Amino acid sequence: MALLSLHGIGKRYRQGEVEVSALQGIDLEIEEGEFVALVGPSGSGKTTLLNIVGGLDAPSEGRTELNGTDITTLKEARLSDFRLFQLGFIFQAYNLVPVLSALENVELVMVMQGRPAEDRRRRAQHYLDLVGLDKVMHRRPSALSGGQQQRVAVARALAAGPRLVLADEPTANLDSENATALLDIMHRLARKQKTTFIFSTHDQRVMERAERIVTLRDGKIVDDRRVEARHHEHAD
Amino acid sequence: MQQSHAASPASRLPILVFIAWRNIWRSPVRSILTISALASGLVMVILYAAMMEGMIRQMVHQATAISVGHLQVHRQAYIDDQDLYATLPWSYLDKIRQDIPGIQVAPRLYASGLASTAETSTGVLIKAVDPRREAEVTQMLEQVRSGTLELGRASDSKEGLPRYNLVIGAQLAKNMNLAPGSELILVTQAADGSVGNALYRIAAVLKPLEPNFDRMGVLMLIEAYQKLMYLDDGFHELAIHVDDITRLEAVQAELDAELKRLMAAQPLDELGGKPVVRNWRQLTPMVADMLEMSKMITFVVGFIVISLASMGMLNTMLMAVHERTHEFGILLAIGMKRRWLLLMVLLESLFLALVSALAGVALGAGVVSLFGERGIDLSGTLPDGYDWGGLVFEPYLQLHLAPADLLNASLLMIVITLLAALMPAWRTVRLKPAEAMR
Repeated sequence: MALLSLHGIGKRYRQGEVEVSALQGIDLEIEEGEFVALVGPSGSGKTTLLNIVGGLDAPSEGRTELNGTDITTLKEARLSDFRLFQLGFIFQAYNLVPVLSALENVELVMVMQGRPAEDRRRRAQHYLDLVGLDKVMHRRPSALSGGQQQRVAVARALAAGPRLVLADEPTANLDSENATALLDIMHRLARKQKTTFIFSTHDQRVMERAERIVTLRDGKIVDDRRVEARHHEHAD
Repeated sequence: MQQSHAASPASRLPILVFIAWRNIWRSPVRSILTISALASGLVMVILYAAMMEGMIRQMVHQATAISVGHLQVHRQAYIDDQDLYATLPWSYLDKIRQDIPGIQVAPRLYASGLASTAETSTGVLIKAVDPRREAEVTQMLEQVRSGTLELGRASDSKEGLPRYNLVIGAQLAKNMNLAPGSELILVTQAADGSVGNALYRIAAVLKPLEPNFDRMGVLMLIEAYQKLMYLDDGFHELAIHVDDITRLEAVQAELDAELKRLMAAQPLDELGGKPVVRNWRQLTPMVADMLEMSKMITFVVGFIVISLASMGMLNTMLMAVHERTHEFGILLAIGMKRRWLLLMVLLESLFLALVSALAGVALGAGVVSLFGERGIDLSGTLPDGYDWGGLVFEPYLQLHLAPADLLNASLLMIVITLLAALMPAWRTVRLKPAEAMR
């Protein structure tokens, strides 16, 4: 069974008098451990689709099943728990709580999960080490570069032990060197943890890092293909 | 597997407290301005409460220590009509002193009369006291403005008549142009129906104590009164000082019982009525009412001042919440519960309120102690003091800080600011994460 199944997902907005169709008839299945890029031009529906998969937005029609659970039927409180325990999120920028250090930011989700203090501290340090930030883990986000902040977000998403990590244009605010480095880290951890990743991008160099590329245009999937990913694998 | 780490909600509280505390220092200038506004409001409320408390204390002191005493005994007819014949027998006085420990008693007699000098005459209120006993009960005789307090027999007059000394009220002295050493004739209807009159010497003028005495009061020895009024079978009023004021009600009840026993042993005439014991609150109902009212006024003033100051808090929190919409969206997305977010925003307000309360209390207490117990001096504008609620106050505003007032004012501020924080906090609850992050 696929980890994630989307059945006939559609999303319509009202903008004043006009009804805008952001997504139409999206059917998609993603297996456990896949490293998927969602690509397409601006306004093609990438963010809306990721929001629906993450339970941050409700579809106008269709079903989203994650690990056998239809999340479109979940109530607010259950949905919140679902995100807390099953999903990891990485956003474009300003992912982190400014008043917490990198380490505290990574711990935050685990605090909310109710993990014991020792366990979460150990995991947070481990994942910050994996993303190469062990030297700066006590710095606050304002003392970190954009690339470092995104790596903290990756560590935060993974340390909580999710089934699926959703990343909405995680490299949008990074230069190409930092962007490809971030993708390499994400890919390496995805392989290592066997965690499923879906990330949206419109950056060609970033999509080259994916193993499967799903292309959206005007709210529809126009292409879905598996590719040979180009990665600079680091020795762990 | 996902719920395996579920712990009690209390385990999230430390991190929420931690984030909230750091958040208020994200915009230090804004937070400090908010804290300053709240703390200033609190200082004003503390000063006002200290002034009211000081005034109440002055009032109670004035009401009890200066002339009224803690308890008084009269007969009913004296209370109703100032009946000259409604006296309590002298034997009661000795009995009460013997039977009830922990009190001091001072008998008093009253009459009205006409005071004349060569130039003018006016109606007066004669009050007769036993100076030794009076000094044990009130400080009335210490309130001398000019002259020396000698209530005994003066030297003979120019005409060779024996004279007693008088002490009179300040306004009366001014109106009749009297000073220590002046002579005064009192004319009155004595108890036997005859006209009593005698010549007196003014020994001293008292400070303003109560408006009536100040305007019309003439103080003399009981011995002099008895010679003038032919009334020596008893006294009109027994003023009582209770050594342990916390036992006021108990002593009042004891006295009641004692008087019933005395009446059984030595019955009183029907006309004068039964003896009645009243405490200072019953004797000066205006003061007691003012006391209650001033508490209410302090609360209302505090509420208004702090509500105004908390508008600053409302603005700060609205801005803080607005600026952090994206951040709240992220927190909701990664699994933070709305109620934790609400709690976090309320905690931020609570911290602002607590810091403000500490600053306000420290500053308020500091300002009060700067003025000291003597308070704010008004003698420049009000040299004779001021008259309020039927009592004359000395010309200074005493400030007194009651710890309960500090606590109540701080609690009032914390409650009001938390109420003001509800609106911004409620906004966070209604955020939709996807929209918040746009």
